[in-house]
Amino acid sequence: MKMLHRHIAFACLALLLALLTACSREEPVHHIQLLTFGTIVDVTLYGVEADRARQVFAAVEEDFKNMHAAWHAWKPGPLARVNELLATGEAFSAPPSVLPLIVRSQELARRSGGLFNPAIGRLLALWGFQSDERPPGPPPAPDAIAALVAARPSMDDLIVDGVTVRSTNPAVRLDFGAMAKGYGVDLVIDHLRQMGIQNAIVNAGGNLRAIGRRGDRPWRIGIRNPRGPGIIASVEVQDDESVITSGDYERYFEYEGVRYHHILDPRTGYPTQGVAAVTVIHDNATEADVASTALLIAGVERWHETARALGIKQVMLITSDGTIHMSPAMAERIRFETEQPPHVIRSDPL
Amino acid sequence: MRPGDLLVLLLAAVLVSYLYLAFWGPGTAGEYAVIHANGSEWQKVSLHEEHEWQVPGPLGTSTLEVRDGRIRFSDSPCQNKACIHSGWLSHGGEAAACLPNRISVQVIGRDRRYDSISF
Repeated sequence: MKMLHRHIAFACLALLLALLTACSREEPVHHIQLLTFGTIVDVTLYGVEADRARQVFAAVEEDFKNMHAAWHAWKPGPLARVNELLATGEAFSAPPSVLPLIVRSQELARRSGGLFNPAIGRLLALWGFQSDERPPGPPPAPDAIAALVAARPSMDDLIVDGVTVRSTNPAVRLDFGAMAKGYGVDLVIDHLRQMGIQNAIVNAGGNLRAIGRRGDRPWRIGIRNPRGPGIIASVEVQDDESVITSGDYERYFEYEGVRYHHILDPRTGYPTQGVAAVTVIHDNATEADVASTALLIAGVERWHETARALGIKQVMLITSDGTIHMSPAMAERIRFETEQPPHVIRSDPL
Repeated sequence: MRPGDLLVLLLAAVLVSYLYLAFWGPGTAGEYAVIHANGSEWQKVSLHEEHEWQVPGPLGTSTLEVRDGRIRFSDSPCQNKACIHSGWLSHGGEAAACLPNRISVQVIGRDRRYDSISF
């Protein structure tokens, strides 16, 4: 009997030691946080040596710096030059850093029924969202907003012929804010793969794409609660998926107690109302980024048809009062992290 | 009861409390945070010690407050105060930044419950 006790005691000790060593073991995970691309960029790599990770991080930082310079909507650079030339109505050769975004966004704007509209740069500037620091003050005058909406700037106003572009509407001013982060993440993921990286997460301001796994488990992604602290839900991703959220809390200003956020409805010229956040899971980050914005603008009534038109299957939409709408494909895999399960409305399949 | 019995009971109690803390306890919340200033790591700070960190940036000094296992920007010399609006951060992987003042903070959990966060 005494022998048995000794055995059990020994087994307990061994188990404890095993647990403790499991905690302290270094894992081949490398992580960097960069302030670039106008946001926080997080890159996580799994399964590479520290030296290699440093080289890869340097290359990624360079990529984001270049894209930031090329696509900046209000500082001098290729996109600013394009906007000057579009305003003339004359044909010009578009810079190679900007042309692919024009072509891609034309197609996506059309499929979204114009809810995703990167041609409304003037409206964004009028609201003060084309500045690093909006000076405090009232929202723009209703007349000025109405005039810009009536001019109907649209991606269809751009005639692209090879590398030549011209605008048939002087009201068009491009701002790729609703697409550039996803597009940039896609390009960086391609670059990582070229560098031989198989397991990684690239997260630009909350818009992320994950490839591969974190060793023996999938990557775990948290989704921010739009109306409170912390995380509302989580999802495990692997192989290659983008998880992208648009929310009314990301950029905003307040005036006399009213909050004005940065996602403008191109049909009205005002910030959208009714939806706090939309999360989209999709393979491609560009399309997920565009869709999250377009669905937020579409609202509770029209998000379903808009998601269909954009070929998106996994959607979670959280209204301002906290009701959650989800497509079945999303509902099957998402896990709520709140203490009490929220009120969820399942939609028809997408 | 012999000494061996006591030892077994004691070890069992230790094991159970350890497992409880590891899987259900506060270990799932953040343990410490990393503050970056102007592109490099400025300081690792514990979330268990109440403190106000004064972090220098190009615009001036941002204040990061640590209380009850959480951290937040409580003051910053920027205009739009987006960093302060981000509120309290407590879970591993959560982050906030004052872009104009080039300061960011990220919570590191003991087991990093989330590898990345979509927001």
